[in-house]
Amino acid sequence: MTQQIPLPSTNDLEATWKFLEDGIDQIYNRLEEGLTHARFMNLYTVVYNYCTSSRIQTGQYSTDLQNHQAQRGASLMGSDLYNRLIKYLEDHLAAIRLESEQYMDESLLHYYTKQWKKFTVASSYVHHVFSYLNRHWVKREIEEGRKNDVFEVYTLALVSWKRHMFKYVHHNVNEAVLKLIERQRNGEYIETSLIKSIVESFVSLGLDDNDASKLSLDVYKNWFEAPFVEATEVYYKTESEKFISENSIPDYMKKAENRLAEEEARVQMYLHPTTHQPLISKCETVLVKNHAEVIWEEFQNLLNYDKQEDLHRMYSLLARIPDGLNPLRSRFELHVKKAGLSAIEKIAEQEGETVEPKTYVDALLEVHRKYNELVQTAFSGEAGFVASLDKACREFVNRNKVCKTSTSKSPELLARFCDSLLKKSAKNPEENELEDVLNGTVRRLEMFFQVANNFHTNLDVRKMTVFKYVEDKDVFQKFYSKMLAKRLVNGSSASDDAEASMISKLKEACGYEYTSKLQRMFTDMSLSKELNDNFKERMQQGHDPSDLNDFNILVLSAGSWPLTAPTTAFNIPEDVVKTYDRFQKFYQSKHSGRKLNWLFQLSKAELKATCFKASKTGYTLQVSAYQMGILLQYNNGDTYTFEELRDVTNLALEAIIPALSILVKAKILLLSNGTKVGESGSKYSLNTDFKSKKIKINLNMQMKTEQKVESDETHKTIEEDRKLLMQAAIVRIMKTRKAMKHVTLMDEVITQLQSRFKPRIPDIKKCIDILLEKEYIERVEGQKDMFSYVA
Amino acid sequence: MVQLLSSDNETFTVDKQVAERSILIKNMLEDVGESDAPIPLPNVTAKILKKVIDWCEHHRSDPVSQQEEVNDRKRLTEIDEWDQKFMEVDQETLFEIILAANYLDIKPLLDIGCKTVANMIKGKSPEEIRRTFNIVNDFTPEEEAQIRKENEWAEDR
Repeated sequence: MTQQIPLPSTNDLEATWKFLEDGIDQIYNRLEEGLTHARFMNLYTVVYNYCTSSRIQTGQYSTDLQNHQAQRGASLMGSDLYNRLIKYLEDHLAAIRLESEQYMDESLLHYYTKQWKKFTVASSYVHHVFSYLNRHWVKREIEEGRKNDVFEVYTLALVSWKRHMFKYVHHNVNEAVLKLIERQRNGEYIETSLIKSIVESFVSLGLDDNDASKLSLDVYKNWFEAPFVEATEVYYKTESEKFISENSIPDYMKKAENRLAEEEARVQMYLHPTTHQPLISKCETVLVKNHAEVIWEEFQNLLNYDKQEDLHRMYSLLARIPDGLNPLRSRFELHVKKAGLSAIEKIAEQEGETVEPKTYVDALLEVHRKYNELVQTAFSGEAGFVASLDKACREFVNRNKVCKTSTSKSPELLARFCDSLLKKSAKNPEENELEDVLNGTVRRLEMFFQVANNFHTNLDVRKMTVFKYVEDKDVFQKFYSKMLAKRLVNGSSASDDAEASMISKLKEACGYEYTSKLQRMFTDMSLSKELNDNFKERMQQGHDPSDLNDFNILVLSAGSWPLTAPTTAFNIPEDVVKTYDRFQKFYQSKHSGRKLNWLFQLSKAELKATCFKASKTGYTLQVSAYQMGILLQYNNGDTYTFEELRDVTNLALEAIIPALSILVKAKILLLSNGTKVGESGSKYSLNTDFKSKKIKINLNMQMKTEQKVESDETHKTIEEDRKLLMQAAIVRIMKTRKAMKHVTLMDEVITQLQSRFKPRIPDIKKCIDILLEKEYIERVEGQKDMFSYVA
Repeated sequence: MVQLLSSDNETFTVDKQVAERSILIKNMLEDVGESDAPIPLPNVTAKILKKVIDWCEHHRSDPVSQQEEVNDRKRLTEIDEWDQKFMEVDQETLFEIILAANYLDIKPLLDIGCKTVANMIKGKSPEEIRRTFNIVNDFTPEEEAQIRKENEWAEDR
């Protein structure tokens, strides 16, 4: 059974302190001997008894009313104990400091951390032993603010350490730490826990003089961090300059990258997290910024040899410093532009005048693919590089060897490329792949909407990629609608779904207006289908089947289709004129007042020919309407002269000659009495010996020369359309603004039309002149370069 | 389990959780560690220690609130039913419980004790208060008049 031991008398300061000092001394110096519960409780109780001892006295006096206020404070006992504790700590720490003088460098660090740990642990014990003092006397002192150097006991201990120990040794301690870190940077193994403890000690000593409960990092920042960052700068300055003069830039970049990673790890391992920013930014300055110029110089080399890994390293290093990437971005732009131009130049040399659309588009795409991939991997898809890539692509897509100076060549070739993809029987060399391509087209179009950013594998998306860079989008529209019209009229479109997706994608890129005409074309197609069904039904009701031709017609609204009436007259052959009349009547009864223009140049027919000896069942000839007009004559005779044929068909020369040429070339007709088709007096007779392996023979082909004419014509109509668009834009702008300066009007027109094409300044000027002439606008008198709207 | 030894050498065995309602004991156990040796409490008698342990048992799982009491008039004097019953003791015991709570650093118990005393004073005249706490009036009539005059502002009207 434990017995209570006698404690010193409650109000005897000397006895009390003696008892306490003995215990405190054990805690600070011989804690490893252990402290019993009883000892702890007795120490606490002695403090308690002393602090409460005045209670008895207060009851005895303080009847003096005048002194009442002053006595309330004085009645709390404790200042004597507190002052004795201060003195004890001072003596204790002086001894520790004295011993520290025999240590240097690493041994000093060992000593410091050992003493620090021992001291802080002991202090927290003492803090608890004195907790009654803390709760009452200290609290009251702090609350009344009588003295601002009264602290809770643990804080007092830290303050004492700072005053009587730290103040004298921190310089040597810090030097030792820096030496240790330098050794680690040199590759030696060091005891990092030592530094960690020192750092913790410095941080703990950051006591705010005015408010001890607040922790400030001043001590750590001033006495450790600042000299540390400075030492870092010196170290890396020397190292990097030496390394860079002895090694290549890619090697240096590896080194710098490693060093930066090491320093980041160092912060994690044993420094205060707030050191991250000043340390790393100093390293970035010394390792990257100070050498930025030579690193930039290396960029072109790495691009030339496609060193992706080094490029990425360079990117990440330079991304760390302000404006580090700008020189790379502009150099990258230039490089891509050059690559694009030289790729096109190569094609231009190989293929000459007539560049195959597929080759051209593929070449553009390949350059884009390669550098887009580089942007994504080496430059992490950073926006600035994406912009540089876009700018470079826009340049070489619109202005290159093939385009020469006309920006409308690219859109034309792109439209032709689209056509070749969407057409059923393209003259694609890889015929077995065709089906896959077409099936894939639809699937890829669908994918486009889900993965808008996936540029890599997607055929159609890549097509859109080039489209994105095309400046003259109106040119593309013209060609595209022409070719779409042809696909629809000839029924040669590969897939309705693919067509529809393409349209909606164009709509997404350029807006509703851009595609509204294209969409109406599709509407006409389905309306025509209905019309045909109705017509067929009607005819079957009133006529004998043998009296009917197999007849199919498309009725297309003139405004939406890029089609023009035939330039030649044409006598409709007797065999079909009945059908022609019947439909004319049928349509008028349905829509009176509408005028039908027959586009015979686009019409085609199938003729069953039994006149040839080689085949008993006969051949089916697929021909144009004009060819039909010619061939049907041979039901009545075997030989006709050119003039006879021309008169009977009423066809113009530019229509009849190509039609005849193909028939002659195919050896359906034989030319005699002349060497060239269309010579006056030349004769054409039916070749009854005609032979063919196929039963169906397609004679409805377009000649190369025709294609060329067509393309030129399209370009011409584009110029006309542009003039109208510009004029419309000017009128629109002037109508809202009423009056405007010449320069601002120009700018406004350019912004409005940018999505379709890039208007040229002289063209806009011309349009303004036209409008002045037409009196839509007028010059404001007395003011230079000012126009006003005429209502 | 923790053993507590009263000033009159009586041992109490209680759950650590219960003993640690006393911040003093809690801190000490954290510093010194646990052992079989009893913890002497030289300033608390067995009689009072038993009362204190009873209170700690009852409140063993109360949340330890670090916050200062809210300055709310109701909160200031309101005591829950169990605590009220617990405090129904003679005056001397009451004061000893308060002293023990202060010594052992059990703030909620100290608060309840003080509230109980406050309630005993509330609404009483000086004469009644003197009677309640057995205080001999050592003021001269002049002194008393003087104090009354100075503190007139605090009187109920």
